[in-house]
Amino acid sequence: MASRRRMLLKVIILGDSGVGKTSLMNQYVNRKFSNQYKATIGADFLTKEVQIDDRLFTLQIWDTAGQERFQSLGVAFYRGADCCVLVYDVNVQKSFENLNNWREEFLIQASPSDPENFPFVVLGNKIDVDGGNSRVVSEKKAKAWCASKGNIPYFETSAKEGFNVEAAFECIAKNALKNEPEEDIYLPDTIDVGGGQQQRSTGCEC
Amino acid sequence: MISDGLEDEEKWLAAGVAGLQQNSFYMHRALDSNNLKDALKYSAQMLSELRTSRLSPQKYYELYMRAFDELRKLEMFFREENRRGCSVVELYELVQHAGNILPRSYLLCTVGSVYIKSKEAPAKDILKDLVEMCRGIQHPLRGLFLRSYLSQVSRDKLPDIGSEYEGDENTVMDAIEFVLQNFTEMNKLWVRMQHQGPTREKEKREKERSELRDLVGKNLHVLSQIEGVDLDIYRETVLPRVLEQVVNCKDELAQCYLMDCIIQVFPDEYHLQTLETLLGACPQLQGTVDIKTVLAGLMERLSNYAASSAEVLPQFFQVEAFAKLNNAIDKVIEAQDEMPVDAVVTLYSSLLKFTIHVHSDRLDYVDRILGACVKKLSGKGKLSDSKATKQIVALLSAPLEKYKDIDTVLKLSNYPHVMEYLDDVTNKEMANVIVQSIIKNKSCISTADKVESLFGLIKGLINNLDSKLLEELDEEDFQEEQNYVARLIQMLHNDNPEEMFKMICTIKNHILTGGTKRLPFTVPPLIFNSLQLVRQLQSQDENATEDEAPVTPKKIFQMLNQTIEALISVPVPELALWLYLQCAEAANDCDLEPVAYEFFTQAYILYEEEVTDSKAQVTAIHLIIGTLQRMHVFGIENRDTLTHKATGYSAKLLKKPDQCRAVYACSHLFWVDDHDIKDGERVMLCLKRALRIANAAQQMANAARGSSGSVILFIEILNKYLYFYEKGLSQITLASVQSLIELITNEMQNENSASDPAAEAFFASTLRYIQFQKNKGGAVGEKYEPIKV
Repeated sequence: MASRRRMLLKVIILGDSGVGKTSLMNQYVNRKFSNQYKATIGADFLTKEVQIDDRLFTLQIWDTAGQERFQSLGVAFYRGADCCVLVYDVNVQKSFENLNNWREEFLIQASPSDPENFPFVVLGNKIDVDGGNSRVVSEKKAKAWCASKGNIPYFETSAKEGFNVEAAFECIAKNALKNEPEEDIYLPDTIDVGGGQQQRSTGCEC
Repeated sequence: MISDGLEDEEKWLAAGVAGLQQNSFYMHRALDSNNLKDALKYSAQMLSELRTSRLSPQKYYELYMRAFDELRKLEMFFREENRRGCSVVELYELVQHAGNILPRSYLLCTVGSVYIKSKEAPAKDILKDLVEMCRGIQHPLRGLFLRSYLSQVSRDKLPDIGSEYEGDENTVMDAIEFVLQNFTEMNKLWVRMQHQGPTREKEKREKERSELRDLVGKNLHVLSQIEGVDLDIYRETVLPRVLEQVVNCKDELAQCYLMDCIIQVFPDEYHLQTLETLLGACPQLQGTVDIKTVLAGLMERLSNYAASSAEVLPQFFQVEAFAKLNNAIDKVIEAQDEMPVDAVVTLYSSLLKFTIHVHSDRLDYVDRILGACVKKLSGKGKLSDSKATKQIVALLSAPLEKYKDIDTVLKLSNYPHVMEYLDDVTNKEMANVIVQSIIKNKSCISTADKVESLFGLIKGLINNLDSKLLEELDEEDFQEEQNYVARLIQMLHNDNPEEMFKMICTIKNHILTGGTKRLPFTVPPLIFNSLQLVRQLQSQDENATEDEAPVTPKKIFQMLNQTIEALISVPVPELALWLYLQCAEAANDCDLEPVAYEFFTQAYILYEEEVTDSKAQVTAIHLIIGTLQRMHVFGIENRDTLTHKATGYSAKLLKKPDQCRAVYACSHLFWVDDHDIKDGERVMLCLKRALRIANAAQQMANAARGSSGSVILFIEILNKYLYFYEKGLSQITLASVQSLIELITNEMQNENSASDPAAEAFFASTLRYIQFQKNKGGAVGEKYEPIKV
């Protein structure tokens, strides 16, 4: 049972609207990129098989809406995450400043048992734009922030050119694996050896 | 009561979670022992928890997510089973034995996902089967979540072009058809939800519906991610089908939300190429739909796209985006007669932002929009609605931000008319924004006509719109605002003297109506602008004949005289006096004796009649003496009159020390090396008079309490003696200097007087100076040599 559970690694991607969360996921999973901006609604995931130390895992990558108005059902899907990826656009100051909010929001909502050591990975995306000339957040500044939050691994990426995406997700997968999941140990009140029948019938037939 | 409801809900959720955990425990045991039959049995029981009707959408979502996570493990197990040789078709049949339809449907979707992955049957057939099967659940909440589950597990298995599940030539249409069908059914469930349950719970139900909206909208996101949806397919199939559903559902909430989704999830290029279709749907929506937000969202998105790169602009021109949007907005405003003002202005403001990004060269478009706005506002008087006011400010700020140049904005004939509709406070704020923008961008305003327009625009800062408002204003805010106006005035410039003079006169006409509170801020910069012009004329042409020139220093001085006069009524006589003196000095440089004399006379009148405070008098008299000393234009007679008066004022100051200092300062009026004024007699008269006053001051001080307050005056006079002694004034003898030194030395040693460190230091350094001059040798050294210290 434990082994089956550990074959699945759940990763959540968070960040401001338009920083390239969907593009990063699409580049990593499908090796595709589109320049067009398309907002994401709600949250959904794509999966990808990854090999870590000769073992095969399924990476479940949750892409989320950066715009709050497209997150109407709340964030119940944070539950059970093994790693949280925080993305910002190196050309947009505000998206970097908001990383803190995303991180804190995640820790509050997902409430992992050991928030100090919960694995995050930060990605500074869109380093390709204008040959780097429109960049406003320096690598140094980003790394300093990551260091101050418990040495969060940091990658500079370009979803458009596929630069560093593979390496970033490799790190994400490894960190997700290191995360000790909260064992939702469940012990039934009575263990019915015969395979207890507990029919609960309420409401209509559907 | 409400909190009870929430507590109950928590209890029900906890019960649901407990039931789910128990069954998943047994399911896991079955999975671990490869017991398919038990696995199915317990997973079905686990899924039965999702049959609850007691949870709100968000709580239901929590429960659903737990079941969802468990189903992933079941899915893996199914895949393993499949690899071990268990036919997926068999599995697909097997799960249909689950007794209850909801668990059965979830299990079918889960196996279906494995089925598609196995490629034992075409993806489109399995998907079609699954989406049909979901019709079995007609309970809105459960149906929506089940279909969203189907959407999620099929997300990466659509027979999209380039996907491993790609089918025959119709493959993209199959994928689209599946998503569209799921979307349509979900929207129906979602819309139908409002009609269930009692009317009194309508509000709660609308809130719940709103929470569920993303489940429906997600389908549009999925459509936008399908690789095969190119522009043609979007235009021919996707958009018409989606809009058909949106229009026909006749539900306000759904229409509003889904229009927003369409705008946000599909790319800009598609919107531009299908603008007519998208905009054409707007009038067909329910009358209560908030069209302005929808259209504003569209225009904002397109504006950002236009701003992203100049390369995309031809697309906008090609489809005549402006005309289409303008047309659509006009129609909407026309159709909704009772549309609130703020909505109208929001629409125009979004269109304006769109226009300046796309057609930055078409000022006529911008002006047309402002004109349309004025038309709609006319007859309504000043706006009192704060939302509308905010939108007008946004509307007016946009051109400033974009063009960063007031010149361009001044060309918009309707701009000032829109401003008229702002209430006085906001009007002034807007004027402030304009002034700051000019200062920040260092905009150049260089004709009288532009000054006229500009001051018309910012009259909220220049004129007394409402004296009551002025009184309520915070003093500091007022000062800050007026300081900005002063900075603005100083920025107005043209190198052509004639035009510059016109500009100055225009500014003058405006600021003189500003009222007594503003004049002290606005008059000085105007005066200095004018004096700068005078200096420019002075240096430019000495030979131009006075009568021909359209602008001469004389004319400018005339105008200045009137302008400064305005300050007297404020009253700020000290400021006026200072400005008169500045003008007098400038007239001096132009060799205009009568003009300079006139300014001095004005200054003297002010001094005599208006400057009453003794401290202000001291400052003023020193300004007068200093300025007068530098004047060279006066003939003997005029000069005598003025110096005579100045010494007279000095001797009449209130306090003895002030008198003394002013009088010895007057000595410089009679000895000016540069202008060859050397009247030793009168210098001596001044110094002796100063000494007498110092003596009197000392006696008064002694009588009071033996303080030595006036010894410093003697040291100061000694320094004047030394100055003129050095200049070679025959009236100043060695003996007079020597006796003054002795007088001071005695005074300092007087035991009655308290010590004065400042005076001691001053005296010591004066003596050091004498020693220094002695050591110099030469003519100076000779002069100083006999002085004993």
